[in-house]
Amino acid sequence: MNVKKAQSFVTQNAIYIVLVLLILGIIIYEPSFMSINTLRDVLIQSSTRVIIALGVAFILITAGTDLSAGRVVGFTAVISASMLQIPDYSRRFFPDMPQVQVWLPILIAIVAGLLCGLINGIIVSKLNVPPFIATLGTMLIVYGLNSLYFDMDPNQSQPIGGLRPDFTKIGSGFIGSGQYSIPYIVIIALVVAAIVWVLFNKTKLGKNMYAIGGNMQAAKVSGINVSKNLIYIYAIAGALYGLAGVLEAARTGGATNNYGNMYELDAIAACVVGGVSTTGGIGTVPGVLVGVIIFTLINYGLTFIGISPYYQLIIKGLIIIAAVSFDMRKYSSKK
Amino acid sequence: MKKITSVLLASALLGAALAGCGGNNNADTGNKGNAAEATNSANSGAAGGETPKVGVAIYKFDDTFMTGVRNAIDTAAKGIATVDIVDSQNSQPTQNDKVDLFITKKYDGMLINPVDRTAAGVIIDKAKTADIPVVFLNREPLPEDMKKWDKVYYVGAKAEESGTMSGQLIVDYWKAHPEADKNKDGVLQYVMLKGEPGHQDAELRTTYSIQAIEDAGIKVEKLAEDTAMWDRVKGQEKMAAFLGSHGDKIEAVLANNDDMALGAIEALKAAGYFTGDKYMPVVGVDATAPAVQALQDGTMLGTVLNDANNQGKAAITLAALLAKGEAPTKENVGFDITDNQYVWISYKKITKDNVADAK
Repeated sequence: MNVKKAQSFVTQNAIYIVLVLLILGIIIYEPSFMSINTLRDVLIQSSTRVIIALGVAFILITAGTDLSAGRVVGFTAVISASMLQIPDYSRRFFPDMPQVQVWLPILIAIVAGLLCGLINGIIVSKLNVPPFIATLGTMLIVYGLNSLYFDMDPNQSQPIGGLRPDFTKIGSGFIGSGQYSIPYIVIIALVVAAIVWVLFNKTKLGKNMYAIGGNMQAAKVSGINVSKNLIYIYAIAGALYGLAGVLEAARTGGATNNYGNMYELDAIAACVVGGVSTTGGIGTVPGVLVGVIIFTLINYGLTFIGISPYYQLIIKGLIIIAAVSFDMRKYSSKK
Repeated sequence: MKKITSVLLASALLGAALAGCGGNNNADTGNKGNAAEATNSANSGAAGGETPKVGVAIYKFDDTFMTGVRNAIDTAAKGIATVDIVDSQNSQPTQNDKVDLFITKKYDGMLINPVDRTAAGVIIDKAKTADIPVVFLNREPLPEDMKKWDKVYYVGAKAEESGTMSGQLIVDYWKAHPEADKNKDGVLQYVMLKGEPGHQDAELRTTYSIQAIEDAGIKVEKLAEDTAMWDRVKGQEKMAAFLGSHGDKIEAVLANNDDMALGAIEALKAAGYFTGDKYMPVVGVDATAPAVQALQDGTMLGTVLNDANNQGKAAITLAALLAKGEAPTKENVGFDITDNQYVWISYKKITKDNVADAK
């Protein structure tokens, strides 16, 4: 490999090199970090994040952004949890609610997420509000709605607990046994990733998405119905947040209106680390998966070796800035 | 045509939002919602004849514990005071604006749950100038501010007591169960899940819980300590990482609140705890409904109840008395008054045996 090639390899993959070094550092500091259990924990903790990040990726690729993602996750977590409590729990959200099929509240929550996304899409495409502002607004509105719902009698802002075991099983159950078992939640995340991959690569919607993000004017001129596509994309992203909210509730066995707080920033950061360009038009599903897993691995690893939370914040901040600066370099070198 | 559609859409959205606010008394969208609430309470108060008007400012409406206190205030106020409860939205400037409003409206008394305890000084100055007695709640003003005026009171709990009690829960378990010392080295190996770094409660609970264990003559070793930001999801994730790095070496889990303790319990369940004879003592603070359930299930060892009912009751009783110009005493308030200005509401240890106290 000649010097130029090596240089371009480093520029192209700088962020991965830095992160691999960081992880190697953690392993050298604490060799027991390398274990099947670590991998399992990291995959479990990545699952809901992957689903949210894929939703955000849709929107980033259209050169948009979504600040409402985290609050939608919180809203749908509360919605699903409120309808899935065991019948003899002392503080039920709906005291007289009959035991419904588990899929029904899940579906309601996902539809609620989809509606939030749909509204984002309409505001962005029909009212021409920039995505940053539009979703800033819906972020506040969704949190407000969630808080009102959460504060209803008789719940009055108490954390929702006592979730039905057939529901929490989705978040904590697994196939197989012992170390080599596969948690359901990881399988769900993989299935979602596969579906999103098909949407990105094999459908007209996917092609339109890249076209819109690459150059919206050109997309319009070439006959793409931009606003219709944008509405679909925001709605799909919303449904993904809805699913993620349901899984957060199932995984932790509870929910409060504060769930999902700032998740959108984690998701955007993971997307950026995974090579999704914040200026639009670029991003892949495997990239997002890698971004999320790397982020979770670092999160987990820093706690594992007992780094002070203050340093953890600084390290994560530096990673995000580094990722975007490398990203910018990559594209400016192309131009 | 397109323009018209957009305009229609935008107005439809706004219209929907306004309709939503109008129809809902709970809506906390500025004055509209607050006014609706005030009238609500006013109606219930007016039935009992002339009751003093008390303005209540809560630091943040979506705080779980303060919501409990807020509901207790609302209930206990019936017949003794007409309350106007407002949200300071976790912002001290907003709270100061609300206090100005109370003064403009010439309320007879104020009950303030400060956003920032150091801001109490300014509020006391305003209250003194307007001669409106003020009771502070849950966040203690600095002692020098309290000395500024004799019509200033404070109702709250001693935060360190919650730490001490959660430590004592571990001590009781450790003494009653010799098998709790898994590696038989006579030292208690623990992990700590802290609340928001720098938060007074987080620091005090962390320090005093361990001190209580040491005071009982038990040697301790800290295996890990990290912040989980009071959050259940983060509690679970941090605990999973602790289990990854320390595994069965951990002999006890202390969490600064119940949500984090419940998260830790989920991580422990995933690691095979609470089935067969694999057990881990986990303690939290707050005695929330899900925590009470966990106590009954036998997954949580104990929690500490911050008595929202008595805090709310004592605060509004005191504020109503002051508003009427009466001198508060132990008899008419129903709680001990320390140093003429302080009412301390004590925490309660809650375990499986006295779980009914927390319901």
